[in-house]
Amino acid sequence: MTEKISRRDFLKISGIGLTSATVITGCGPSSRYVTRQAYANMPEYNQTGVSTYYATTCKECPAGCGLIVRTQEGRAIKVEGNPEHPVNKGKVCSRGLTTVQGVYNPDRITGPQKRTRGSRTTTAMEWQGAINTVAEELKNPQKTAFLLGLQSDHLYDLVREITEKGGFGKPVRYGTLGTLEGRSTLLRATQELYGFDQIPFFDMGNADVVFSFGAHFLETWLSPLAYSRGFRQLRKQPFGKRGYIVSFEARQSLSSANADEWIPIKPGSEGQVALAIGKIAATKAGVPAPAIFAEVNLNEVSQISGISMEKLLQLGELFGSDNKAIALPGGSALTTRNGLDAAKAILALNVLVENMSQPGGVFPTFGENHTSDFAAVKALIAKMNAGEVDTLFIHGTNPVFELPASAGFQAALKKVKTVISFSTFEDETAIESDYVFPDHAALESFGYQRVLLGSDRETYSSIQPVVAPIHDTRATADVLLAAILATGGNLASDIQYTDEVDYLQKTITPLIEKAGSYSAGELPTFWSKWLQFGGWWKTTSELNSSEIEINLNQKLSFSAPQSAKVGETFHLVTFPTQMGDGSGANRPWLQETPDPMTTVTWNSWIEIHPKTAELLGIHDDDIVEVKSSTSDFSVEAIVYLYPAIRPDTVAIPFGQGHTALGRFAEGRGCNPAIVWSASVNQAGDLALSDTTVTIKPTGKRRPLARQESKEGVYGEH
Amino acid sequence: MTELLAKEAHDEKWGMVIDLDICSGCQACVTACSMENNIPFVGEDEMAYGRGMQWMRIRRYWEGEYPEVTPDYQPMLCQQCGSAPCEPVCPVFATLHSEVEKINLQVYNRCIGTRYCANNCPYHARTFNWFDYEIPAPMNSYLNPDVTVRRRGVMEKCTFCVQRIVKGRQQASAEGREIEDGDITPACAQACPTDAITFGNLSDPESRVSKMVRSDRAYKELENLGTEPRVTYLKGGKSYGG
Repeated sequence: MTEKISRRDFLKISGIGLTSATVITGCGPSSRYVTRQAYANMPEYNQTGVSTYYATTCKECPAGCGLIVRTQEGRAIKVEGNPEHPVNKGKVCSRGLTTVQGVYNPDRITGPQKRTRGSRTTTAMEWQGAINTVAEELKNPQKTAFLLGLQSDHLYDLVREITEKGGFGKPVRYGTLGTLEGRSTLLRATQELYGFDQIPFFDMGNADVVFSFGAHFLETWLSPLAYSRGFRQLRKQPFGKRGYIVSFEARQSLSSANADEWIPIKPGSEGQVALAIGKIAATKAGVPAPAIFAEVNLNEVSQISGISMEKLLQLGELFGSDNKAIALPGGSALTTRNGLDAAKAILALNVLVENMSQPGGVFPTFGENHTSDFAAVKALIAKMNAGEVDTLFIHGTNPVFELPASAGFQAALKKVKTVISFSTFEDETAIESDYVFPDHAALESFGYQRVLLGSDRETYSSIQPVVAPIHDTRATADVLLAAILATGGNLASDIQYTDEVDYLQKTITPLIEKAGSYSAGELPTFWSKWLQFGGWWKTTSELNSSEIEINLNQKLSFSAPQSAKVGETFHLVTFPTQMGDGSGANRPWLQETPDPMTTVTWNSWIEIHPKTAELLGIHDDDIVEVKSSTSDFSVEAIVYLYPAIRPDTVAIPFGQGHTALGRFAEGRGCNPAIVWSASVNQAGDLALSDTTVTIKPTGKRRPLARQESKEGVYGEH
Repeated sequence: MTELLAKEAHDEKWGMVIDLDICSGCQACVTACSMENNIPFVGEDEMAYGRGMQWMRIRRYWEGEYPEVTPDYQPMLCQQCGSAPCEPVCPVFATLHSEVEKINLQVYNRCIGTRYCANNCPYHARTFNWFDYEIPAPMNSYLNPDVTVRRRGVMEKCTFCVQRIVKGRQQASAEGREIEDGDITPACAQACPTDAITFGNLSDPESRVSKMVRSDRAYKELENLGTEPRVTYLKGGKSYGG
């Protein structure tokens, strides 16, 4: 590639003397080619016993929080938040903290391999062979498809450029966190109602009253650390004022648990409730109700949602009072058959109280969002089934685990001639692949995250390696670029990047001209600051007040929400936990960190209301069969009697139930995606909240490892 | 005499304040503590037997009946009692009070595992290494070199991240100044997404913790036992304006 300079030369060139506790960068254009050494062969710039800190970006979820990673003697020790970073301001969640357990996980794939599908038999390969394989597959653009995850953005941007210039189909980008929060639906509703092309920023910190329709803002919703900060700000307003949160969802999540009022409404009725609140609020505020709200029948809504008329009026008046109010459209409202209209109804509430681009209101954000909806995944599956896909590249997502079983991805995969996975772990999809060309782990790689939904300003967050790769892995961007070079032809002359870092540098070059938090005369200086600060962002908040004209004179139509037969079928709520999209399940400390609501560790469970359980003759720790009402798919789950859930609803956390992914993840709990309904809403998102299931005891029992009590261990067992 | 008073003013008496009104119960502090302090993971079976090693745990109490049911969260950790019930019962002086930091220390290489201290702790803040827990290679690479790795038969508990206190003191001394408020942050407070945890010196009346301790929402857990906890909780309340 390029000649490596020696470490001593490097010190001479850059002339940096290190003190402890400083965030450093390579400080020079050549620094990317200085090899960071492992413990046994420590670099000279690392002093024994003194920690070196590097700024990078968390890759555990798409939020893109800034990290400072403490390294010592060439090892990553501890993940801390980057205090300067506009998204998380020095804070970090459980997932981010366990990143080091991903890097040093004993079950990582250690080098490129050829696999036998469906088995764990592998043959080691050389990287040259891997690149030749990729190059061969790239020669047939019409029959090649890319399936990518929600992070990182730089790889998506690169692949998009490759696919555009090379005549490939558009890459599909899918991740369960996006699915659970109805991201495509939210984007589509924003485009259609607000007329801007981004997922908005909800400034809940400066609001007085927050109405959350199933938004898990403390767990995984859009940018959980930014919204956790918003939650704090809401509670600690000047002069002792304390903001008020009302949360509407069938199963009490951590966010609802922290709300002042939890309204357990019938799943699927969120949109109509929003309309009713809008109508009452308009009356309270003394303005004519806009057409979007005007025709809603309050009695009907009260009946559909299960909220008493009295409560509905009280809540509507609270929303329409003089307080600064904001409404958050969360996943459980959007991932239903009425999702798009529900999203619009909730977003319209913000227009009604005129909080658009006002402090405590809704703001347009920065840059485009690229998320494929489930319909795009379905289209890909259809193409695969039709034999139109010969080669599938999969990176950053685990479709065999994450997609509903009834979508038939696994069967469609069999029709694809060559499946190439870039996974760092032997996950469910890697097992069904022909080749695995492992990417570096999060703390070993370069990149950036561009779309930051929790930032109040334009932000690019940089990813840099904090330790040397410990295995024979290679950056996927490098593999693709090398393969394109090997292919030659038009594509090679169109894609003129020598390697991943070259691509990153060329992409961020336009930022030099923009005024940001630091300035640099030319690229090498800018690049070193880019690495040192962990990215680039504007100096001040860009949430400026502006006038946006939004027309509420439209009508929404709601079909009856999915119903459940009393005592027979139940609404299934799937909620995200610290396992995120399921890739966190191989981190032992995420497994051992108790779930906030149930304190269960190392397993998953099904939450059933104690009264329902009594009727069905089910006890704590019983294993039940959870069967989809619309298909033959079923899973077995351990019962947790959960007091904060509607009696007609059951809930299963997402992320467990792995059949692969290493020793810490395999054989624990169940995967609710198996029983999800594969129908889509008007925005093409998976209508997973419409899933209904039947519950049947199996006669088996298994105690859950919960922190809250020892009953079931010393008692019955 | 004035010298003595001046010296006392600079004494360290570390304390923590946890604001339950903004603690969301998200457990980030639990993970942060475990990653900082080389706490071993024990696995599903041992967790089920109540042998989890978390130095910090979030106590969750359900309040009320459906649909008005809601959990109350209280992070529980070693309260670093001024008059600690765990100390007098240790036959080998493995658990004792530090002169400098005014916290409870656990001297791992003295501990012989009688578990008297854990039995006498009203906060259930101590955890015991029932086994040697394996961290399979190369996962041991992330272990914090500032913190001892404990082995079987040893009692352990929250140390207020004493390694960070020592580092902060050394840093201040190298720069020829006193430790300032905010210099030292334990791993839990550093991670806390809502900034519900504040750490500082209680002997400095101007420190953030000293000011917060004077809040009318402040209370100490099981204060009536006379343990003089160094952790203060600020009462939460889900009432509007309250």
